[in-house]
Amino acid sequence: MLNYFIIKLAPGNPVDMFIDPNTPKEVLELRKEILGLNDPVILQYFKWLLNLLQGQLGYSFSSYAPVTKIIGERIGPTLLLASAALIFGMLIAIPVGILSAVKQNTKFDYIMTGLSFIGTSIPQFFLGLGLIYVFAVQLKWFPTGGMITLGGAGGFWDRLTHMILPVFVLGIVIAGKKVRYVRASMLDVMNMDYLRTANSKGLHPFIVTNKHALRNALLPIITVVGMEIPLLLGGSILIEQIFQWPGIGQLTIQSILSRDYPILMGLNLVAALIVLTTNLLTDLLYAAADPRIKYT
Amino acid sequence: MVNLATIHIKQIGIIKIGGLKIMNRHYRRTMLFIVLALVLVLSACGSSTNTTSSSATQAPATDKPKEAEPSPNKEEKEKVVYIGIVNVPVTLNQINDQGDSAADNAIALINDSLLDLNEKFEFLPKIADSVETTDNQTFVVKLNPAAKWNDGQPFTTADVAFTLKTALNPKVETNFKLNFIEGLNDAGKLEEGTTEISGLKIVDDKTFEVRTKTPIDPLIFKERFGTKVFFLPEHILKDVAPEQLSTNPYFQKPEVTIGAFKIANFAQGQYVEVVKNTDYYRDVAKLDKIFIKVLPATNLVAQLQTGEIQMNSVPVGLIPITDYEKVKGFENVDLASGNPSVPPEIFFNSNKIADPKVRQAIAYALNRTLIVDQLLKGQGEVIDGGIPSYHPYFNKDIENYSYDPEKAKQLLEEANWDKKQPIEFLVPVGNKIREQAADILVQNLTAIGLNIQVQKFDFPTLIQKVQKGDYDITIFTRDFYIEPSSYFTLFKSTNPGNFLNYKNPLVDELITKGETEADPAKRKEIYNKLQETLHEDVPSLAVYSEKRLLAVSKDVLVGKPLDIGMFNNINEWDLK
Repeated sequence: MLNYFIIKLAPGNPVDMFIDPNTPKEVLELRKEILGLNDPVILQYFKWLLNLLQGQLGYSFSSYAPVTKIIGERIGPTLLLASAALIFGMLIAIPVGILSAVKQNTKFDYIMTGLSFIGTSIPQFFLGLGLIYVFAVQLKWFPTGGMITLGGAGGFWDRLTHMILPVFVLGIVIAGKKVRYVRASMLDVMNMDYLRTANSKGLHPFIVTNKHALRNALLPIITVVGMEIPLLLGGSILIEQIFQWPGIGQLTIQSILSRDYPILMGLNLVAALIVLTTNLLTDLLYAAADPRIKYT
Repeated sequence: MVNLATIHIKQIGIIKIGGLKIMNRHYRRTMLFIVLALVLVLSACGSSTNTTSSSATQAPATDKPKEAEPSPNKEEKEKVVYIGIVNVPVTLNQINDQGDSAADNAIALINDSLLDLNEKFEFLPKIADSVETTDNQTFVVKLNPAAKWNDGQPFTTADVAFTLKTALNPKVETNFKLNFIEGLNDAGKLEEGTTEISGLKIVDDKTFEVRTKTPIDPLIFKERFGTKVFFLPEHILKDVAPEQLSTNPYFQKPEVTIGAFKIANFAQGQYVEVVKNTDYYRDVAKLDKIFIKVLPATNLVAQLQTGEIQMNSVPVGLIPITDYEKVKGFENVDLASGNPSVPPEIFFNSNKIADPKVRQAIAYALNRTLIVDQLLKGQGEVIDGGIPSYHPYFNKDIENYSYDPEKAKQLLEEANWDKKQPIEFLVPVGNKIREQAADILVQNLTAIGLNIQVQKFDFPTLIQKVQKGDYDITIFTRDFYIEPSSYFTLFKSTNPGNFLNYKNPLVDELITKGETEADPAKRKEIYNKLQETLHEDVPSLAVYSEKRLLAVSKDVLVGKPLDIGMFNNINEWDLK
């Protein structure tokens, strides 16, 4: 609800965008009336809420397509990109983080922490544009953007080649951040008494690290990853712009610029749902990883 | 993650041998794995459903052409042209483009109008064979006898009547500007309760007459009715209630239209795909498909180089002028400069800056030649009025305000302008060149001692402030019109959209005269006089007129980006 008012408070409205001075005032008034912009904001909100309860999110002010359809088309690509990037990032971060912790203060550790530092601090748009220039424009290995080849046969490989660059950019940033978490959290755990016990019992170091240590180290990591998912969806806005990935990031920017209230409200709703779901999922994972936490 | 899971599963096996509390621990562990596996499955599901759902949305893209194309042609390579644009087309609604030039691109590909305009400002017949008038008040339109919709239904005057009655219904939104037709109100709409347009007379299936309120220059009729009115198929939409028209599924994908191409796919914010209409009433198009592809300006240049797009489109797919030399160097691309385009204009709030001398002083203070030479790399020119120099009604005799800071200071003295008084300059963000030009302008104005305060806003915010009169100076770009009166309505004191608050009885008189005069030669005189008057009064001042870069791949035989009339010969476009 707060969101609704904040959006409405933003100056400008979708009708006055038509600055063509030859457009008669009556026409503009008609448009406001049709879009329901003449009603008081509070009434507009309750109308929206009422429609929502009936499963209606209304129609876009610009394209007149149903909001559910527009968002439905866009959410898939975003989830695909975000989940692929998350998996890719964690696939790098967990093994590298563990090895860094185990081989603390070795060359490997220094190189990896160094790389992760670069990964975290490199601006995504810079990396993205750089990769496009090298791999798409110069080497022509990958397309410069989009999700499929327009007019092409499509198919899995086509999509994969379009995904590699954006997933890499997003994944690198995630990996950069997470390597440090995994490493720090492993180091904490590795100084614990029970690990010394496990080691002194003569258990294989591999088991000690991966079973006894990792499992305890996972707890803080789960929290961080859970918090990352909503951020990831926001963070992909930039990547979606650069790679013309047809996701909700692009849609958000377009809708803000055209003051397309129904779509913005729909997007807010989706964002709220995603945050709630990930929180729930994080809690469930927590319980599974840590036997001390139980839901009765 | 998959690897991780398998590692854990191996461990279970190992642990079982040595552990005592196997059952309990094992149980917890399995729980962990189950949840982990669940997450994996979920994310996998997520991505797999995405793939299916998005492949479902893509399906028409890959399936359609196969349907549209007879199988023998399959062996030949499909001729596909990709046009790169930066702005997003918001709609395909042919009677309500919402003032969006990007949408106009897509609409023009799949809809024919009665007439078309080429780059030499000549009107060509399209759906209409002829448009004739003897008294400049009754226009007789004869339709092409062969004209038909792309589903084979004949196109008749009934469709014309249906389109007008629908679009001009007070409950329907449209961008048609037809208020000169008899029987319509000043807003160009039917009055509430009436359904018949008294100025429209259907003679027979292929002939109709339009009567205007007063005699008008045929140019007005040919532009606003001839080229800006697109038609709705009566046989598809006749049962739709006017209030529900805009949300009708037809407009999400208008399959039945009359044009050289028909819609195949409209993916909002990504691309518009059109395929050739094999049942076209004129020569069938040589290209099989055209894609209008939405991409950021930086990628526009990259994709021209890689050949992923064949051309850009203006004004919605501008190549940054900073890339001029780069694109010039591409071996696979021909680069041309367009006509000097509609300029960004400085608009003065006449309530705040009331003395014309102050406005003149500002005009003398600006070093616009520098902007053209440095910022535009010479690809442009300086003009003072809003009408670009290649427009037939451009007044060539007006001498530009030169860059003369001394004279500017002197004029400020004469006007007794208090230099401490802050002047609020609103600049819209989005157009990089215009923002940089504004920076130069501000320096120029500060140099003559004015107290300029710059505020930058996104466009919707800026427009609202400007319309409220909450500004002193602003800058933005207007549209291109072939009809000259459209440039001047803004300055009319009775126009509620006159955000300049500019009042000049002489200007008002000339505007009205220009709108009602039917003789083109006399109109030219009126508009010359009008431009002179406005030049002296400076309610607005053009900054630079950019020659937009028009790039086209050497693979394209016929077809290229143009300032106006780009698509008039779309059915003749061809590839090597």
